[in-house]
Amino acid sequence: MKTFKTGGIHPPEQKLTSGKAVEVMPLPPELAVSMSQHLGKPAKPVVKVGDEVGKGQLIGTADGFISANVHAPTSGKIRAVKPHPHPGGQYSMTVFITPDGLDKWQEGLNTPEIDWKTLSKEEILRRITDAGVVGMGGAGFPSGVKLSPPKDKTIDTVILNGAECEPFLTADHRVMVEEPEAIVKGLEIITHLFQGKARAVIGIESNKPDAVAALKKHAEPKGIEIVTLETKYPQGAEKQLIDAITGRTVNEGELPFDKGCLVHNIGTAVAIFDAVCRNRPLIDRVVTVSGMEIRSARNIRVLVGTKFSEIAAFCGSMTEKTNQVITGGPMMGKAQFSLDVPVTKTTSGILFINNIGLEKSGEKTCIRCSRCISACPQNLQPWLLANTAQLRDFESIELYGMSNCTECGSCSYVCPSKRELVHWIRFAKTLAGKRKQRQSA
Amino acid sequence: MYSETFIPAVASLGSLALVLGIIILFVSRKFFVAEDPTVSMINALLPGVNCGACSFPSCNQFAEELVRTRNPAMTCPVGGGELASKLGTALGITMAEPKPVTCVVLCQGHNGNARESAQYLGIQDCWAAAQTFAGTKQCRFACIGLGSCIAYCDFNAMRIENGLVVIDRELCTGCGACIPACPYGVLAMQEKKTERYFIACSSHDRGADTRKACDAGCTACQKCVKECPEQAIVIDNFLASIIQEKCTSCGKCIEVCPTKVNCILRVRDLDSVKSKKAS
Amino acid sequence: MEPLKLKVSYAPFVRSKDSIESVMYNVAAALLPATLVSVYFFGWRTLLVTAVAIVSSICFEWAIDKIRKKPSEYLDGSALVTGQLLALNVPSGLPLWMIIMGAFVAIVVAKHLFGGLGFNIFNPALVARVFLLISFPAAMTEWQVPFSVDMQTAASPLGILKTDGLQALADFNMLDAFYGIRPGSLGETSILALLPGAGWLLYKKYITWHIPVTFIGATMLFTGIFHLLDPLSYASPLFHLLTGGLVLGAFFMATDMVTSPLSLRGQIIFGIGCGVLTAIIRLWGGYPEGVSFAILIMNALVPLLDRWDVSEIKAKKQQSVKAV
Repeated sequence: MKTFKTGGIHPPEQKLTSGKAVEVMPLPPELAVSMSQHLGKPAKPVVKVGDEVGKGQLIGTADGFISANVHAPTSGKIRAVKPHPHPGGQYSMTVFITPDGLDKWQEGLNTPEIDWKTLSKEEILRRITDAGVVGMGGAGFPSGVKLSPPKDKTIDTVILNGAECEPFLTADHRVMVEEPEAIVKGLEIITHLFQGKARAVIGIESNKPDAVAALKKHAEPKGIEIVTLETKYPQGAEKQLIDAITGRTVNEGELPFDKGCLVHNIGTAVAIFDAVCRNRPLIDRVVTVSGMEIRSARNIRVLVGTKFSEIAAFCGSMTEKTNQVITGGPMMGKAQFSLDVPVTKTTSGILFINNIGLEKSGEKTCIRCSRCISACPQNLQPWLLANTAQLRDFESIELYGMSNCTECGSCSYVCPSKRELVHWIRFAKTLAGKRKQRQSA
Repeated sequence: MYSETFIPAVASLGSLALVLGIIILFVSRKFFVAEDPTVSMINALLPGVNCGACSFPSCNQFAEELVRTRNPAMTCPVGGGELASKLGTALGITMAEPKPVTCVVLCQGHNGNARESAQYLGIQDCWAAAQTFAGTKQCRFACIGLGSCIAYCDFNAMRIENGLVVIDRELCTGCGACIPACPYGVLAMQEKKTERYFIACSSHDRGADTRKACDAGCTACQKCVKECPEQAIVIDNFLASIIQEKCTSCGKCIEVCPTKVNCILRVRDLDSVKSKKAS
Repeated sequence: MEPLKLKVSYAPFVRSKDSIESVMYNVAAALLPATLVSVYFFGWRTLLVTAVAIVSSICFEWAIDKIRKKPSEYLDGSALVTGQLLALNVPSGLPLWMIIMGAFVAIVVAKHLFGGLGFNIFNPALVARVFLLISFPAAMTEWQVPFSVDMQTAASPLGILKTDGLQALADFNMLDAFYGIRPGSLGETSILALLPGAGWLLYKKYITWHIPVTFIGATMLFTGIFHLLDPLSYASPLFHLLTGGLVLGAFFMATDMVTSPLSLRGQIIFGIGCGVLTAIIRLWGGYPEGVSFAILIMNALVPLLDRWDVSEIKAKKQQSVKAV
């Protein structure tokens, strides 16, 4: 079994919903479609209050190179366009749609499946970009941009990330079990863009044997490798996954394509297949609703823009003990301050938990146990980075490899003194960036 | 008999001291740095807090640059007009007089009148909280009251009261060091006048949303705009602002303001600051 | 639905169950067999010694937290471990006021004057032991003979070796020493009782093998070389392993997280340094036993070893920046 070289931890897996088939959530009374569901600049809204939109109609256009289109998840009327809480913790421009209940597709979209081999490469890329496909693992990097690396870089390995190493999350797992054909076709489209010569690999953690079996059946006849990975966090982090599968190390300041690799999420492959073969924009996704405080944990397919409060109600509501609602996994997710936030293209999970550790929180002093050093998958010294950040010494912290930190949270997880190591590093990254801006200004 | 023990000790230590003294003498002569007496004189006049408001890292560097260039446009915002005239007399030039400025808080939402959105547990720093979520108050433009600005104030003029930063106007010198320290941009510099009006709110939310989040927010109701005899108030993006050049400090706007967001800033002479420093 | 008051904090939202308390109480539990066996060997007074050491350590910790206006952390287990280790490092007949003084030196001088838990450079219990050894050399070397009813005292095997030479130890029984039937301080005598605790800490990953193995290995190698050169005047390495506080020191005191290096390389250098210094002091030093001194000297070197790693990271980064 393959794995990455340094560090890593084993948090309790808590995959409560791995055996639960994906259910489709009914249409909610209102959808709040955020214009920033991707990395980069938010999309520009192109609809006005009062407009009627069809399902899949473009409502926000990409603004700049790193940005993505946003589409109406259902047919209905635009109620408002205004800033609204975003699962990232901030406010973003949001288009509110009141569904008309017909759920009628706009003309020319959601067509019967065609063979992608009949399309030119430019046409494939155009369809992916137009459909607003972004990385669905969490960061939300626009896929069209990722699939057009600089000309001087050769891609020899395309990796699909089915590790899903975060505790609780099972969305990718269920997609792998239920839609293996779409995943395989999506991966074939990606490799086709690179002359079809690239090695195609799907990496899956060993705790998902049913996903491995399902994909093996469909992928191996097409010459796609399935690699079983050791169950260890952060196996699904891009750099660690490349290390585990190819043995290559992506150094500080490098991107995966510098090492000839391209990593896509499982959900992204399905979205690419939908966009290319069925002309279907990215308007819904599979979300794991889990945690100890939700009465009926399950995997659901929801429209982008569905509010968390609706989802909680659909899943049997949360208990009174809930004190944190988290998007994404418990290791790298974000705590929410409001249940009005909508699902975005990158919401892989919603967790309702009772974080008892918070009550007695408070950082204690470092007792120099060196666990953070052995847990760090990037071979850094988290204690040193955090101490330097606490001193606001943003010059030295660069020299200690701050920008190499992927913020996986392993160090904070193991720290017996409960120090907020990752948060200190994140804090330093923000303020060091500000400082640089001010200096250059 | 003791002489046998103490004479060598005294002699050896004494000669050691002598040798070291000679070395110090030599070094001080050899590496002597000639210092312009004007610089030290100017330096003595400056406030000496090294706040950086003049864009120099220290008062001494400001003094050196001033003596070297004799540029009358160089100003010390902390010292104000009084210092400018003193420096001018000392150097024999007419110094530009800086406009006295002071720091104001463009938010009045303390724990009593602003609604809380969620409790924040973590690193007690405004920037750390700001990258975690939009803020502890429902108004995303509000001061969150963790006080990261306080560390940047060299004059002890800031404190947190009931979840809102408060500025001691007598201690504030207008150096501006705190402005970039606020992630929410609720601090601003404004020119000092004996009595002036400004809008102590930063919320660009629509009126209804602002009122839902805070009792002391500008709802952009237009009342003050209509009332102002000088047309000095404009509303931009759901937030009123007062054009200071037109404002005559008549006070009519505050009478009609439903949320009393028009805040009067009364400023006494700079003397109070000076006398405190002298004592 | 009435909105719940949510709490916002930064990721990760799951944390390991380990805490300072769990680390400290596990160390205390690992030392328990040694404490119990000492009662069996040296009688009920050892219990009194241990109790006084622990209670006075915790009291001093509580008092100094109050004086320093810190949140009270006297029950986090670190004072408990310090007290327990101090008791294991003194003879069973030591006057109680000396133990209280030792606890004062350990908690106030060695720990809190340096900044408290996490900032102390030297192992507090060892500082206290060395302080007592230098201040009260007679009381600190009156080792009680095991199972003696009237507190009969004798020299420790290492003491005999130092004063009377190897031939005086002709009837020394290695197996008895392993069980702990020899004069010595409370915790150091019974290797058998120390091993389960050491195994537990290794299993729970509170310590790693690097420091104990290199420490013991270096001592045995160093003494072994001289034993081979001249077996008549130098004792065998096995004798050095089984006498004195080598096992106690290597597994429980050199491995103290706060006062040992962070990197594996540093830990190995630290272990070897401790081992060689112990051997040198035992073979040629003025004191018969060198474990405490060796660990304290190497403690002083730890900031330097850590700095080495940090400066290496810095230099590497600066080089790569230059290359770009």
